[in-house]
Amino acid sequence: MMREKAEALARRGSLLTAVALLALAGVYVRALIFTPIERFQGPAQKIFYVHAPAAWSGLMAFAITGLLSVLYLWLRDRRADLVAAASAEVGLTFSVIMLTTGPLWGKPIWGTWWTWDARLTSTLFIFLLFVGYQVLRGAITDPETRARYCAVIGILGLVLVPFIHMTVYLFRTLHPDPVVLKPGSPSLPGNMLVTLLTSFGVFTLLYLGFLAQRYALGVLRDLNDEEAGRAVS
Amino acid sequence: MQYPDNGGYMVAAYVVAAVVVLVYAVSLFVRLRKASR
Repeated sequence: MMREKAEALARRGSLLTAVALLALAGVYVRALIFTPIERFQGPAQKIFYVHAPAAWSGLMAFAITGLLSVLYLWLRDRRADLVAAASAEVGLTFSVIMLTTGPLWGKPIWGTWWTWDARLTSTLFIFLLFVGYQVLRGAITDPETRARYCAVIGILGLVLVPFIHMTVYLFRTLHPDPVVLKPGSPSLPGNMLVTLLTSFGVFTLLYLGFLAQRYALGVLRDLNDEEAGRAVS
Repeated sequence: MQYPDNGGYMVAAYVVAAVVVLVYAVSLFVRLRKASR
């Protein structure tokens, strides 16, 4: 019964991912062809339409991992651990996009690929924290011990997320201030704002599609391990 | 209007983002097929 449910979720996740990938192609067309070029930064400014939504999805994924980790330690519900693990892996994928598109935008605008300021350093730190999370998941075989240890790392990541958002206000940094997630109205012309918000929506959809698939994968692997265990005994 | 000539960085960023997303989507698909057997 569990297997059928997991496979159905995997199918729905795959469908959602396919829709999100098509929508992402639409965002590419809108951003590259129909959105005006920014006067001072030139074409490189358009990196913003993938960089910021990828950062949003990555940090949202890590925050959800943290929240589910709290839930796991409270309720000891195996599903919370599996969703947390799924969200952490998906978050790492979006973080790779954030950490590669950022320097590609920084080089032509700041004149450097990387600078050790608070925003960039803390973002790299959370990325490495969740790489550690993945390594730990692979290293511990006992499911309960694994879930407990990983939940602690997940919660540490959750603490980091608001700090990363606030770094541009707390420290002197090269990284620009938020243009949407801030008090007051967004500081972006209408056409660019529509592209950005569409991209935010599509990346969120992509996150949900990936999350559903990855969670189903976790459930199926658990079921396979249980069946293998029963076959041996 | 004259713009800075930095379109190459933009193209590289969009290609990298697409490759990462597609590789992960394929990896999930393959792992799910293996686990479903």
